[in-house]
Amino acid sequence: MSKKFSIFLTALFCAFIGGMSVASLLLPDKDFLPLENRYPQKPPKLTVEALNSGKFMEEAEDYVSDHIAGRDFWVAAKAWSERLSGKQENNGVYFGEQDTLISRVKDPDPAKLEEDMGHLDALVGNVDIPVYFGLIPSSAEIWRGRLPAGAPTADEKKIIDQLYFSTGAETIDLYGALCAHSAGDIYYRTDHHWTSLGAFYGANAIFEAMGLEPLKLEDYEKTIVTDQFYGTTFSTSGVRWLPPDRIDTYIPGGGVKVTSWFGAEPSEGSLYVDSWLAEKDKYSYFLGGRQPLCVIENENVDGPKVLLIRDSYSDSLAPFLTERFSEVHLFDPRNNLNSVKNYVAEHNIDQVIVLYSFANFTTDQNLFVLGR
Amino acid sequence: MVFSTPIFMFYFLALTLLVYYVTPRRGRNLVLLISSLFFYWWGERVYVAIMFLSTAIDYTHGLLVERCKAKGNDRGAKLAVASSIVFNLALLCFFKYWDFIAGSLQSIGLTFIPVLGIHLPIGISFYTFQTMSYTIDVYRGDARAQRSILNFGTFVTLFPQLIAGPIIKYKDLGDQINERTCSTEKFASGVQILMVGLAKKLLIANNVGMLWDTYKAMAPGELTVAGAWLGVLAFTFQIYFDFSGYSDMAVGLGRMLGFEFLPNFNYPYISRSITEFWRRWHISLSTWFREYLYIPLGGNRCSKPRWMLNLLIVWAATGIWHGASWNFLLWGLYFFALLMVEKFFLLKPLERAPALAGHVYTMFFVMVSWAIFGLENFGQLAAYLKVMFGLGGVPLADLSFFYHLISYLPILCVAAAASTPLGRAAYRSMGKKTQYAACALLVAAGLVICTAYLVDGTYNPFLYSNF
Repeated sequence: MSKKFSIFLTALFCAFIGGMSVASLLLPDKDFLPLENRYPQKPPKLTVEALNSGKFMEEAEDYVSDHIAGRDFWVAAKAWSERLSGKQENNGVYFGEQDTLISRVKDPDPAKLEEDMGHLDALVGNVDIPVYFGLIPSSAEIWRGRLPAGAPTADEKKIIDQLYFSTGAETIDLYGALCAHSAGDIYYRTDHHWTSLGAFYGANAIFEAMGLEPLKLEDYEKTIVTDQFYGTTFSTSGVRWLPPDRIDTYIPGGGVKVTSWFGAEPSEGSLYVDSWLAEKDKYSYFLGGRQPLCVIENENVDGPKVLLIRDSYSDSLAPFLTERFSEVHLFDPRNNLNSVKNYVAEHNIDQVIVLYSFANFTTDQNLFVLGR
Repeated sequence: MVFSTPIFMFYFLALTLLVYYVTPRRGRNLVLLISSLFFYWWGERVYVAIMFLSTAIDYTHGLLVERCKAKGNDRGAKLAVASSIVFNLALLCFFKYWDFIAGSLQSIGLTFIPVLGIHLPIGISFYTFQTMSYTIDVYRGDARAQRSILNFGTFVTLFPQLIAGPIIKYKDLGDQINERTCSTEKFASGVQILMVGLAKKLLIANNVGMLWDTYKAMAPGELTVAGAWLGVLAFTFQIYFDFSGYSDMAVGLGRMLGFEFLPNFNYPYISRSITEFWRRWHISLSTWFREYLYIPLGGNRCSKPRWMLNLLIVWAATGIWHGASWNFLLWGLYFFALLMVEKFFLLKPLERAPALAGHVYTMFFVMVSWAIFGLENFGQLAAYLKVMFGLGGVPLADLSFFYHLISYLPILCVAAAASTPLGRAAYRSMGKKTQYAACALLVAAGLVICTAYLVDGTYNPFLYSNF
């Protein structure tokens, strides 16, 4: 190697690592990583305890990685590189057909499922009103045709059938309802949730299970609320080459009273919260995002009062439910550890629906709340 | 701290290099010692005490050996060597093998040794071997005892090779610790080798590692024959590119600091026999065992049965060195058996056979060995091997096999090509100017792509936590 060339290589290397470290240090700290839709690691606190346990080091490594100069570029570059090397997935998200990103669903732990089904059956025994149980299959199951051939993902249909067979609750055939309309835009292409259209078919599956009159799509007018939505699978995949998604609604938001409990105190909410459309997490437009409890009352409907034990899929489902139920109580066990049994008694609930997406039901650690 | 993290590359390394080069020559070992201690403390906290203990004890033993020898007291020198060996082995045995022995005894009903739940200090198998070789080298007259405890501490803790080798013998490094030259040429060649190592680790090893993890996690009923082989092939590449990648990074970082380490791998997968494979694989370990165990046992200058026993001991030790678990012992003995067969029957016919036959034969047994190495649970190992050999009662292939094959085929082809000296030959055949252009381009691209994988490092295992 000539002297000149070695000076060049040395300078290149030193400029790169030195430049990266100086630029990263000078960069102001970020509170949020919008493209990845998550909070970065905060600067680690220097305490003797954190040093001895290694927590400081772990946090420092995450902090450095989260605040590296050009982080968005590096994340996208890695996804590109994976794609160019022939990979059909990145960070557990498949690059599906029709510009669709689909999260791989892991095979659930049978022991955990059995335990949670026990909690569900305990709920059935605890209350003397009907309990309905619904599992919403993920897009990986319903849109299998869009996945790369042979891409591994859990056999949700089989597991749902087994769970439905064993439970004492009434069951809701969401798989059938969604499968029948799999050609439509029933899931977002860049998010794991169902779209309002998917939720519409889901709502009808619920009404059908309860013997209520189904809704007709032609009775509603579709409104496009945004066409700039990049959801969760977009965020985790690192894929940055896809067009954005659209969020639609069918039910106008007025005429119902929404009470949200984001904290200990109730506040007046709304079916749709416009301010979220300016944020990265636009799905929170529905009801305003995660909350322990939310009650929606519709005085114009003479229907039963339902308690929905649920995850975020119910946020976009709720508008349709207001068409048949006089009160919808949305109860999220991830942040609400109160007794379901007492809640049913205190609020004169007529029916309970336990409604979860497959992926959440098989991983949620708080389902013991069902049996409380 | 491991090399393949942003904090190492952009903070630790950047800062260490900066301080190292602004410090006058005589202060540089102190800079290295402090940064190496910090490097070890970052990952292992209180175990950094082992560094101090090892340094203090082996330093005194080295001086003791030399003093005894100078006085003609061979008995004393031998005693000092023995004492240092006992100390190092005790350290290794306690941290690495105590729980293994206790657990194994408990499983046959003997409970007189409690299982302590000891966390294995990272790199202990590497650095205890290095310090052990020191007193032996001094005794044999291959090296002079280190006078400066600071310099000796630098040898013990030297961060480029502290946690994943190569195992550097004091006689090869002692002079460089005392006196070494730094130059831009050396630094630039270090940059090249570091980049090769980083690319091996981040772009190939981590990538195919995910494939092996997928197959490793499958229940025997979910596997297919072709899938099981694909999984083992992935691990075959993962372990080579991970391990040799770490060694390259160590050599590269070493050069950037002015050191020359001996190469640790020499294209092992182009071997035509297992004997050749072990001359090319983890060279620093096999030479260590040869010099400090096999030859002292008598090597091959003894009766045939004794010679075979010597080899058996060496290979059992090699196996168990890789991890405190029975499968590693089995792995070592598997190679002992293969080497015996080669020495007695196969080497000659292999030399005469077409090259391809030798390659196929070697890679077949090497791949089977990686299955033994990669699956610590005997039940799982047996089931996996059964599937590999078509006895598992599972289909030949399924859709998910083709999914994985298609997804990983390009990277597996790159890995296969990179396991041979083809790239090196192509590079060497270029003219000087083309070489420079290619090298500049590869280093620049390597920096960018490796940084992308460093930053989005969702999968970055450290394979030597067992060692």
